[in-house]
Order: sequence, then C-alpha cells, then structure tokens
Amino acid sequence: MKNEKITTGEFSNWQTYSLTFLRILIGWHFLYEGLVKLYTPGWTAKGYLLGAYGPLAPVFKWMAQSKSILTFVDVLNEWGLVLIGLSLFVGLFSKYSSLCGVALLSFYYLAYPPFAGLGTNTHVEGSYWIVNKNLIEMAALFVLYQFPSGYITGIDSFFKYRKRDIAKE
Amino acid sequence: MKKHDTNNKRRDLLKGLATLPFLGYFGIAFKENIELELSEQARDTLPTLKIGTLDAPKQKLLPPTGNSKNRLRVGFIGNGWRSEQLLFSFGYMHPEMVKENIVKGKYSEILQSFLEQEDLNVEFAGVCDTFSLHAQHGYEFSLNDVRPGGGKGQTKPAKIFANYRDMIASDEIDAIVVCTPDHSHAKIAIAAAKAGKHVYLEKPMTQTIEEAVELRNTIKSTGVVFQLGHENRQQMSFKMAKEMYEKGALGTVSMVQTFTGRNGNYGAWIRERKFDKQGNEHNINWEEFLSGKPMCAFDPKKYFNWQRYSEYGTEMVGNDFTHKYDCVNQVLNLGIPETVIATGAQYYYKNHGDMMDVINAILSYPERGLSLTYDGTLKSSVYMQSRIFGSEATMDIDLALMMYKDGDGTRYKDVDIDTANPMYYYAPAGADAVTSATAKTYLKGGYGATSIDGKVIDASLLHVKEWVDAIRGQGKTSCNIDVGFEEAVTFNLINLACLHKKIARWDKVNEKAIIG
Repeated sequence: MKNEKITTGEFSNWQTYSLTFLRILIGWHFLYEGLVKLYTPGWTAKGYLLGAYGPLAPVFKWMAQSKSILTFVDVLNEWGLVLIGLSLFVGLFSKYSSLCGVALLSFYYLAYPPFAGLGTNTHVEGSYWIVNKNLIEMAALFVLYQFPSGYITGIDSFFKYRKRDIAKE
Repeated sequence: MKKHDTNNKRRDLLKGLATLPFLGYFGIAFKENIELELSEQARDTLPTLKIGTLDAPKQKLLPPTGNSKNRLRVGFIGNGWRSEQLLFSFGYMHPEMVKENIVKGKYSEILQSFLEQEDLNVEFAGVCDTFSLHAQHGYEFSLNDVRPGGGKGQTKPAKIFANYRDMIASDEIDAIVVCTPDHSHAKIAIAAAKAGKHVYLEKPMTQTIEEAVELRNTIKSTGVVFQLGHENRQQMSFKMAKEMYEKGALGTVSMVQTFTGRNGNYGAWIRERKFDKQGNEHNINWEEFLSGKPMCAFDPKKYFNWQRYSEYGTEMVGNDFTHKYDCVNQVLNLGIPETVIATGAQYYYKNHGDMMDVINAILSYPERGLSLTYDGTLKSSVYMQSRIFGSEATMDIDLALMMYKDGDGTRYKDVDIDTANPMYYYAPAGADAVTSATAKTYLKGGYGATSIDGKVIDASLLHVKEWVDAIRGQGKTSCNIDVGFEEAVTFNLINLACLHKKIARWDKVNEKAIIG
C-alpha cells in the first residue's frame, strides 16, 4: 500500500523529493565512509573492536583477536559501506540496502551503546543517552525501507520487480 | 494522447536518473577530499620541532648473524619466570606452552609469532637452579623441536648442572644468562667473566656499589660481552627522545620526574607461583641460595619472596626505579648523581620482610644543572610516565612520547598550539591489548613490542639479539657495563640515603659512597 502510494502519485512531489534527498544524504555518508576506509593504507577495525564496551563487548573483542575474522569484518565494513552507499545514492535495490544499512549500523550502535554508566566512547563527540546519531540514521533508513523513493527517483524505477513489489503490498 | 505518454515517459526517465548529478559531483570531488583528509591525518609534525629529520626511526635491523659454524651454547643460571621469558626470546618454548597454543590444530597468535621470530642460532645448552623443580622445568624447554624458522628435526636436551660453578667451568657452555636473586648477581657474573663466558645479567646489576665496581673492572679486564637486562634500551621512543634532546628540541633541561606505583600483595612481591608449594628443604639448595649471606634456617618466605628482604633484594628502587632510571639515562645520558636525598619506610606490608613500601628521592646533578626525583609506592597502582622538563618543551615518555611546548619559551613561539595539547606525539604500531594493570604498566614502560626497520618486534628479543650479535662481533650491546654501573651506583645511593637517613654523596674519584 505504502509503495503504491509513492508510485501512484499519492505523495506530493515535495514529499517524494524529501525522501530522495534523505536517501542521497545517507548514501553519500555511507559511500564516503567506505571509500575513506578503502583508501586508508592498512585500515582495520581492530582498534575500534578492542575498545568496544557494553553487554556485547566480549563478542566484538573476540572478533578483533582472530586474524581471519578480523579480515572478514574489515572487508565487510569497507565494501558494505561502499555498496550500500552506492545503492542508496542511485536508488538501485535501495529498499533492501536500507535494511542492510540498518543491520550494519546496529553493529556500530551495539559496540558502543550509549547506555548510562557504561563508559565514554572516545570515538564520538557530544552527549548521548540511548539515542545517538547511529540510532537516528538507522531510523531514517527504516523510513526509506518503508518508503522506497528509488522506485520513482532511482534506477529501481526502470525494473519490473518494482511493479511486483507494489502488487504484493 | 501519444504526446502525453511520451512526456510522461521522459519525465519518469528523468526522475529515475535524478540523483545521478549528485553522484557525478561526488565522483569528481571525493578523491581529492579523501587525499586531503588522509594527508591531514598523516601530517608530519616533525618540522615544528625545528630539528630537521630524525635518524633514529631509520635504524636498520641487523641481519641474522648465526650460521652453522657459530652456534652459541647458552647456559641459564636461575630458572624462574624471567628466565623462561628469555628462553622464549632465545627461541625455546616449553612443551606445555606449545600444547596450550595449539587449539584444534590451529596455532595461536603467540605461537605463530614465535615461529616467525628470528632464529638466533642459539643452543639452550645448560640450566641450573637452587630449586630442583625450576631446573627440571627449564630442562623441559629443550625437549621439543618447536623453534623459530622450523626445527631441525632433532632435539638436544640441555644439561642440568648442580650449581653455577660447575656450569661456568664447563667447556660445553659459551655464554650465560643470569636470572637469580639480586644478592647473587655480582658473584656469578664475576666468576663467569673470569672463566671467559659472556654474560647476560638481569637487572638490577648488583646489590652494592662495591660489587658494581668489581664487576665493571672484571668485565673490562676480561673483555667478555656484557648486556644488562634493561630491554627498554630497544624501544624506539627512547631513541627518538635522545635524538630530540641532543638536537635541542627540549631546550635546557632542569628537572626530571620519575614515578612507580604498585598496589596489593602481588605488586608488593608477596606472591605464590606455580611450584612454590612444592618447595622444601629437600629440593631447594638453601646454602647455595644464601650465596655467602649469613647462614640461617630454611625459610620458604625468604626463598620465594626474596625481593622483600634487604639481605637478598635491592628494595623498590632496585626493582622499579632502575627501569625508569635507565629510560631517562639513555635519553639524557645522566650518569651518577653527585648527591642523593631520600626517605623511605615500611608502612604497610609489615608481616613480610623489611622492604620499604614508600620511597621519595631527589638526585642532584649540579654539573648538568638539573635534578631528578623518584617517588615510589606499593599502595597505589596509578600510572605516570617519566617527565622531562625543558625550557622550550616538556616531554612525557614511556613506550610512547608526547611533547608539549613551553608557553614562555622562544623556540616554538610561532607554533600555534595550546600548551595543554601535545605538539608532537609518537607511539609504536602493533602494541597488543593487554588486560592486567601490572602487565599494562610493563607494556607502557617499554617492555612490549617496538617498531624498528618497518617491523614490530618484541623488545626482549631485540635485546638478547643485540647481545648474541655482539658476541659474534657484530655491533655492541646498548646496556653495557658502563651504563649498568651508573644504574647500580645510582639506585644504591638512594638505598643508602634511606638506610642512614642522611644525604648520600658520590665520590667519583675513589668510586665510593660518602654518607652524610
């Protein structure tokens, strides 16, 4: 129903453009983050993982201890960010990449959860309690999943699965 | 109608591609921005120090010196925890440790890095210890063929000697490593040097100034290769700091602060280790342990925690201050102070030996126009780097190095940085995460890995390699008998000042301490 609304013009142009703008911003953010990591010689998530705190800290630290797992995490991070970013940017498979983005961000959120009394995350600026920028970006991506603007202002609009998706809902 | 459809299709097409211009801009501009960002991160702050380039980080690692003709046969005198750490550096791992480090057929990171470390071409040829279980445990290191660079397919069991005299007299030993209680260091090292054996001696060098004089003279007259076990001599941070200081980056240095802190029984050397409970009069050679000290009844407390007894140990200064002193001594080339004022007392761990647990000392170097202070406690585990105060900049130093400009200095007047923020920072790559407070303190103090020649190598390995290479005529030892002598005299002056509650002076002509 929601997707039908967006593609059948029940949304005003401004509503569509707003969603598109949000998609581009998040896509830009992901893509740039990924590319910086790819371009940084010897970049690794090791330090970030070792510094993790909160209930899941042992899991993140364990990831950093194993060479093979760390390599996997590094590649997943770099290319995950780049591909999700590109996907959102051009609106190709953007509905599903929004979900992937939520999953990736949830790792960042859980590695340094902004819960009271857990300690200070030296990787961020500002003060946060439960809600931080990662959580807000996750919420925004979930909105994009529900309202896939790529079906109008993206390459998704040229493909048949768009119609199938709409028909399902 | 047809025109309307065409318009719609065109509009849909344009909408579908609406975001591409943004991507186009991103594509054109991102690379330049990333490069800018990366160059900011890697910005070389060295020019701000106005000393040109630094030579220390360009130091090359000496290629392996071992070959089939110069295999060095090393004997270990005293096989406690420190000796077993050194055996690891020499390329030997206890079979139990090998087992623990292979899980489901996979090598742990420790075992992997052990196998990849340089093979020094050293044979662990002999071991002796006053506690037979320690000697046996050491011997077991020689029973496997797990070696850096791959084993040779055969094992040669180390010989267990009854005592150090037998080992020194043996022509199956070329060099010795001494890891015994402090009170026996000088006696063993002097006897070994006289027998023509090269000596690697754990710190602190000697228990008294008189022993230090005799050992230095013996090493010099015999010409054996001597290395004192301060492996922080290998840390890049201290080499860089030395060069910075010598090139004037700190200005005039007027003061140096050193500090050590430990807390709790373990930190205060009240410990119980793996074999301690099994130690008794039958498997411990008590007389050999006493090594000429007045005879007394067998006492396991004394034997296993000898550090806490001034008769056998060297107090907190011998154990802890010597590390800090050797670090700043290699940076500033301080040498021996002219006078020492110090107080110390045992306030806390009173039921175990006479070791002082709070010590404060001021060491004066009038010829250098500076003083060095040391504060040590066994009731606080707070960590502080050594701090070198210069007229142009202050340097905090340990494994890492941080420099802060002096707000009223002239050299860095044009450097736009707050005096509270480091003007220059260096830390070696690859320092692994550690968990316990004592281990962290050791690591920060310079006892972990260091960067050299583009590689990350354990400082202990580099330190023993330096000794082995020097024995083979390649290079010299950095913690030689002269700097060892400075270390031994300096910390002994502090102990004497505390003991006599008077100022201790160094008579450099007669090489004697003068009290009062």
